[in-house]
Amino acid sequence: MAQGEILSGFLAPHPPHLVYGENPTQNEPRSQGGWEPLRWAYERARASLAELKPDVLLIHTPHWITQVGHHFLGVRQMSGRSVDPIFPNLFRYQFSLEVDVELAEACAEEGRTLGLVTKMMRNPNFRVDYGTITTLHMIRPEWDIPIVCISANNSPYYLNTKEGMGEMDLLGKGTREAIRKSGKRAVLLASNTLSHWHFHEEPAIPEDMSQEHPQNYEGYKWDMRMIALMRQGKTREVFKLLPQFIDEAFAEVKSGAFTWMFAAMQYPEIAAELYGYGTVIGTGNAVMEWPLQKAGLSRLDTSSLPAATGTEARVSVGFLTGSGRGAGEPFRSSLVD
Amino acid sequence: MPVVSAFLVPGSPLPHLKPDNLSWGRIGAAFQRAGRALAASRPDAVLVYSTQWMAVLDQQWLTRRRSQGTHVDENWHEFGSQAFDIIADTEIAHACVAGSARIGMHARGVNYEGFPIDTGTITACALMDMGSAERPIVVASNNLYHSPSETEKLGALAVGCANEQGKRVAVVGIGGLSSTMFRQQIDIRSDRLASAEDDKWNQRILQLIESGDVGMLRSTLPEYVKLAKPEMGFKHFHWILGALNGRFTNARVHAYGPLYGSGGAVIEFAP
Repeated sequence: MAQGEILSGFLAPHPPHLVYGENPTQNEPRSQGGWEPLRWAYERARASLAELKPDVLLIHTPHWITQVGHHFLGVRQMSGRSVDPIFPNLFRYQFSLEVDVELAEACAEEGRTLGLVTKMMRNPNFRVDYGTITTLHMIRPEWDIPIVCISANNSPYYLNTKEGMGEMDLLGKGTREAIRKSGKRAVLLASNTLSHWHFHEEPAIPEDMSQEHPQNYEGYKWDMRMIALMRQGKTREVFKLLPQFIDEAFAEVKSGAFTWMFAAMQYPEIAAELYGYGTVIGTGNAVMEWPLQKAGLSRLDTSSLPAATGTEARVSVGFLTGSGRGAGEPFRSSLVD
Repeated sequence: MPVVSAFLVPGSPLPHLKPDNLSWGRIGAAFQRAGRALAASRPDAVLVYSTQWMAVLDQQWLTRRRSQGTHVDENWHEFGSQAFDIIADTEIAHACVAGSARIGMHARGVNYEGFPIDTGTITACALMDMGSAERPIVVASNNLYHSPSETEKLGALAVGCANEQGKRVAVVGIGGLSSTMFRQQIDIRSDRLASAEDDKWNQRILQLIESGDVGMLRSTLPEYVKLAKPEMGFKHFHWILGALNGRFTNARVHAYGPLYGSGGAVIEFAP
């Protein structure tokens, strides 16, 4: 069997407002539009994804929060009605998706090998989280590519940023190894917002864009700084700053998807394609791609795994030096979109 | 109309999903005893605050008369599903939405088919036999930005709105004690508190609750919140305090024990 490939990685945020603004048939509420620059950004991302013709999409979601380990969807066909608990007025979406259970199991197994606690979710009544559904709709509204869906273990919040990101780094490395062995052509989706300061009240007309702007100037400046570094391919600098970015911009990347994706991609120092940036209820959202295939980096070798496992392996990401927030902190940053 | 009964219960689904595990089954049985006491108090409605219904915009109140479905907890899916059929007192809930301005809060009703009712509410309804036509519930969300004192105002508001409608109410705060859970797979038959310190703190707070010494509780809670990290800053207790106008005579702890390392207790307050 040929070795698998990671064709590309996308930063693909999940505000349900984008689905609401688009008015797809699956979503019950109707809008007059709104958030066009971000929706147009996703149009460009969709076109790029379509050209890649992946076998599978892997998504890490901050809205399936797990406490004991990293969980993976393990039911082949899942469907139902997804209602956003924060914005039920905007997102009531009928979905149907196919899970690549074999690859999910392989990712879980590779994670276990690296010392992580992992678990397969086999309950057919399980409600897929709205973040996953929003990102998947925005990146591939045809719903014709199988997925692997990974929960957000709450270690970055419960332990601290450094330890949490260490877990996500291992999770990414395990994911990479599973993809390599599978022979499949994969695309990674990090379902994260950047700065996460948000308004606490919604405009009377949610899509009234005269009310939409960054909630916090410092958060906006952080977003621009990080995006500039990403566009220059300065990945090492991005991850050096990541803990400070998380603390000062309340950034949702704390939940782990971004680190997971980069670990799976082996932290490539390549320029990201920025498809667009915009705010949603004040939070900063960027749709971006790291095109590994175009950069000749999609083929996976066997050098990605850390030599050690467990605790020793968890500190292998030497440039993750965050101070983090205290244990038991509520998941404020994860809930607004 | 007075508050006829009040209870604090955990939001973990484990006592409902896995009662054959002895320590969790004990808590489940205590839930049921509390449910019988609740029924005996003959409330017209039950005012519920659940830490697991998290909100960040506005204060949400469940205004859907009947919510039905099958729920699977995002953590404990391997232990099965929870069917639910919950009846709400929407008259009180709408009054709470309308009355929130009186306490300086923006509020909205939630009335959508398929809205994800939280695990804590579903578990408490199942084990305490509430959320039925006989004992409809009024459910308030946990706005993550609300302080304990704001949560007390919410509890008082809900009681006030029920009073204006001439209804007898019970009050239930749903949430845990110390929140630290084991992060690895454990043998659930030997579940225990994650640390001896958490256990000590929980027991100290439970003793203070049993004594009804609200003054001492108020002065001790900040340290408890800091050191034992009760779920969501113990705001579910503040909901009860607000509903009881800041005082109660004493309380009975029906059960206290571990829920995968975190602390859970079923407490009945004497209003």
